[in-house]
Amino acid sequence: MKTPRYSRARKLGIDMTPMIDVVFLLIIFFLVSSHLAKQETQLDLPLPIAKSGENADSRQTPRVTLNVTEAGQILMAGREIDSSALPMRLVQLRETEGNDLEVRIRGSRDSAYAFFEPIMLSCTEAGIWNVTFAVFERETRQ
Amino acid sequence: MKRPSSYLRRDGAGDSDQAMTSMIDVIFLLLVFFVCTSSFQIIEHILPSQMSSTLGTQPVEALDPPPDADFDNVVIRIGWDGSRPNWKINDTPIESFEQIRAHLQALASVKVDAPLILHPDPAVPLGYVIQSYDEAKLTGFQKVSFAVNPRKGG
Repeated sequence: MKTPRYSRARKLGIDMTPMIDVVFLLIIFFLVSSHLAKQETQLDLPLPIAKSGENADSRQTPRVTLNVTEAGQILMAGREIDSSALPMRLVQLRETEGNDLEVRIRGSRDSAYAFFEPIMLSCTEAGIWNVTFAVFERETRQ
Repeated sequence: MKRPSSYLRRDGAGDSDQAMTSMIDVIFLLLVFFVCTSSFQIIEHILPSQMSSTLGTQPVEALDPPPDADFDNVVIRIGWDGSRPNWKINDTPIESFEQIRAHLQALASVKVDAPLILHPDPAVPLGYVIQSYDEAKLTGFQKVSFAVNPRKGG
């Protein structure tokens, strides 16, 4: 059997293309999975508009997000929670996460303030003063 | 043993085909990478709210505004007539949202460090509450807090 003879003109070196391929694939995988993990508990809501809003990622404090649907349901980690059970749940979270726990309220701009009052009251009852509202910086098309 | 056809072709035509495939591969990957990194989602901001320790437990009557001439705090009451909001700043009725800015600026020029309390009716849509809160923050008031009606029967 004749052995294959490679031409000397062919350079033998490490082919970077598959490596770049794999590296990019991994980057995209982690990007998409982290993006989906963030979105998992976020409801698509027409948030209120405020110009004095801060960057949402600027805070490193532990956080619990409460979504309030247009029907007034309060969702914590994707599950509905009754407003009467909320203070106790928030106290538990404050004890485990620390006193700087942030409660982020996400609600529709068209929902009545009455839906948000029990949440704010629950926060004060639970001793949580770090309450924030999720807002958009400008009007967006929905 | 049969050798790969590309080795047999000395003219290099097979090599260029291979190079193109990898290039297209990488280009598509880059394309997907940039599509993924450019966010589809609208960037969300946060509006920190201050809640004074008395707000949750203090009866609503205690938040009645003091006289306009010598005010300790500014109380903005937001009402809702079913279709549009109306405001009262320290019992002074405000017709439009534009007037709020002027009124708040006037108050801020006298006492910018005065606590400002937002007292919306339960029926007011959150958008208007946040809009008023935002306006108060933009005017320069630092101590802006929400009034909360106590629980029924509590």
